[in-house]
Amino acid sequence: MGPIVGIIANPVSARDIRRVVANAASLQIADRANIVLRVLAALAACGIEQVVMMPEHGGIRGHVMRGIERSRNQGETRFPHVTHLDMPVTGTAEDSARAARLMHRAGVAAIVVLGGDGTHRAVVKECGRVPIAGISTGTNNAFPEHREPTITGLAAGLAATGRVPARVAFASNKRLDVAVGERPAEIALVDVAFVTDSYIGARALWRTETFRELFVTFADPEVIGMAAIAGLIEPVGRGEAGGMMVSLAPAATARTVLSAPIAPGLVVPVGIDDWRRMPAGIPFHPHLAAGSVALDGEREIFFDGREAVSVTLTADAFRTVNVPAVMQFAATHGLLRAGASLLATALA
Amino acid sequence: MSTNPFPLDKADLMKAYRTMRTIREFEERLHVEFAKGDIPGFVHLYAGEEACATGIMMHLTDVDRIASTHRGHGHCIAKGVDVHEMMAEIYGKATGACRGKGGSMHIADLAKGMMGANGILGAGAPLVCGAGLAAKFRGDGGVGITFFGDGASNQGMVLESMNLAAVWNLPVIFVVENNGYAESTSVDYATAVDSYVDRASGFGLPGVTVDGTDFFAVYEAAGEMIRRAREGGGPALLECKMVRFFGHFEGDAQTYKAKGENDYNREHRDCLKIFAARVREAGVVTADEFAAIDREVGALIEDAVASAKAAPLPSARDLTTDVYVAY
Ligand SMILES: Cc1ncc(C[n+]2csc(CCOP(=O)(O)OP(=O)(O)O)c2C)c(N)n1
Ligand SMILES: [Mg+2]
Repeated sequence: MGPIVGIIANPVSARDIRRVVANAASLQIADRANIVLRVLAALAACGIEQVVMMPEHGGIRGHVMRGIERSRNQGETRFPHVTHLDMPVTGTAEDSARAARLMHRAGVAAIVVLGGDGTHRAVVKECGRVPIAGISTGTNNAFPEHREPTITGLAAGLAATGRVPARVAFASNKRLDVAVGERPAEIALVDVAFVTDSYIGARALWRTETFRELFVTFADPEVIGMAAIAGLIEPVGRGEAGGMMVSLAPAATARTVLSAPIAPGLVVPVGIDDWRRMPAGIPFHPHLAAGSVALDGEREIFFDGREAVSVTLTADAFRTVNVPAVMQFAATHGLLRAGASLLATALA
Repeated sequence: MSTNPFPLDKADLMKAYRTMRTIREFEERLHVEFAKGDIPGFVHLYAGEEACATGIMMHLTDVDRIASTHRGHGHCIAKGVDVHEMMAEIYGKATGACRGKGGSMHIADLAKGMMGANGILGAGAPLVCGAGLAAKFRGDGGVGITFFGDGASNQGMVLESMNLAAVWNLPVIFVVENNGYAESTSVDYATAVDSYVDRASGFGLPGVTVDGTDFFAVYEAAGEMIRRAREGGGPALLECKMVRFFGHFEGDAQTYKAKGENDYNREHRDCLKIFAARVREAGVVTADEFAAIDREVGALIEDAVASAKAAPLPSARDLTTDVYVAY
């Protein structure tokens, strides 16, 4: 049997308050399902015959299975065989984590993830060394790169079938580990922010006067969200060693003020006091005594002075499909040219 | 003569023209006759919108079912309902398609797959879900097509039906006849999306918007959707942007329209003129051939009106017939 690819598509991402406080867009379920169908078609075109998906109750499954049925009724063979994991559906991020754990255990060759930073974070927690290929289904994501999902699907397929060697196909990524007292360890893929809000509330961050400290794995001036703040001060690449730490303050009292796109359509002044590089493996301790910790832009943990808090950057924490590298390789080696060894290699 | 650039052969092009011309003549004549006061009830005329009904119905046969609107004469004619029976029905005569008991807004002919004009906005949508389900069970390849206006599109049952058609993967096509107005309310005011395609995508249905004054645009888009639906490819939505030449109903003063709007539409957006000019210029059908159809249709409508007027009214005894249907 050939390699199996997993798909974890979150039906509920991109529905948060940023649609109200900024101009973030939301992607309808049918559009998410269309993305899945595009990915499936691309995977099939690379010779992937089996795909296993996370079950959910948001409607993606129904749309996808109907799309496949319609195509089959019309005599087409565009899609691989799709099954769903046998697992309970809770409608929370736990589903994505559990699905990733089950896919990891089942030995899938790669996992395609549709969702925002939070969905990717949940998957990365549990997928081990299984490479992931991220697709952003929201407008305020820093981790998944924005590109047409068909291309992501092709790259995942070419990488999963082994037609592009692993050293080219996969990139290693940094991660931030957050420890709060005795609580279970948490991770962030892009940023950890300490803010003075002492409640989780609507989760998103948009009141800049509450921002105090920011840690990022990479700082890209082209991304949106908290990481944009670091990116506009001093870019740090995804593949570069080390991350960055930024001390923030209310704009009125800060040493410098930066205009940063912290949400789609929301470019606001952010007070900056200081910043420095963050080497891997060394725990950093925030100065803020009480407040909440936001992981990848969403308040997740409330803490007070009684608990020790630390943030540590981990190098080579998980793997992603390096889509540009795979497509480049496919082009220079003629992997998608007619005749070639397409099916032969794919099914080998 | 040059080769035919159209997706229909000459006979079908002439058939399409004859259908559109019949609808136009029927409606123009009703406009005149209604003003005389002999016709009971309301009539809503389809003049200007003929390309939509015709472009779609050219793909259908009697196994396919349609559910129409309060503006249903065009759908009936294009689906093959007898013009004499229609006219008699509108006059409330015993020889009418429904023995004179329905009138303009309730013309039906099940043998032709015409499930009825409908006085209730949006009510055709659930009906064709039933027709689609029946076709699916029978496996006869039939499709159900519902027509509704831009105003009716906001009725809950239209949306419910799209949901049902999507989850049951029914061979159903939702046709939005967007003529810009619901009575006197403009679509821009009353509809909260700028394209009905966005509505369809909320249910996972593919949607297409076409210029409903261009017969070929309607014909082509409808053809793809109907083929797909017959093959089990599922429901779809077609939005036809069109114009209506007359008021909402006969007697409407049309004060909500811009000055000269009707004249402009008749001059530049007349689907019949556009169709005839293109087909003539391509050298496929001659002006004489079109003129012959016009004469033939003129005589047909003349005769339909004369016989409708001469036909008897239903009698008091007919009150108790056709109340229940035996299965
Ligand atoms: C459920 C319902 N509500 C209201 C009416 C009254 N009514 C009859 S036609 C009409 C406007 C319909 O507009 P549209 O759907 O755009 O069709 P058009 O008349 O433009 O063809 C209204 C409100 C009705 N017949 N049924
Ligand atoms: Mg209307």
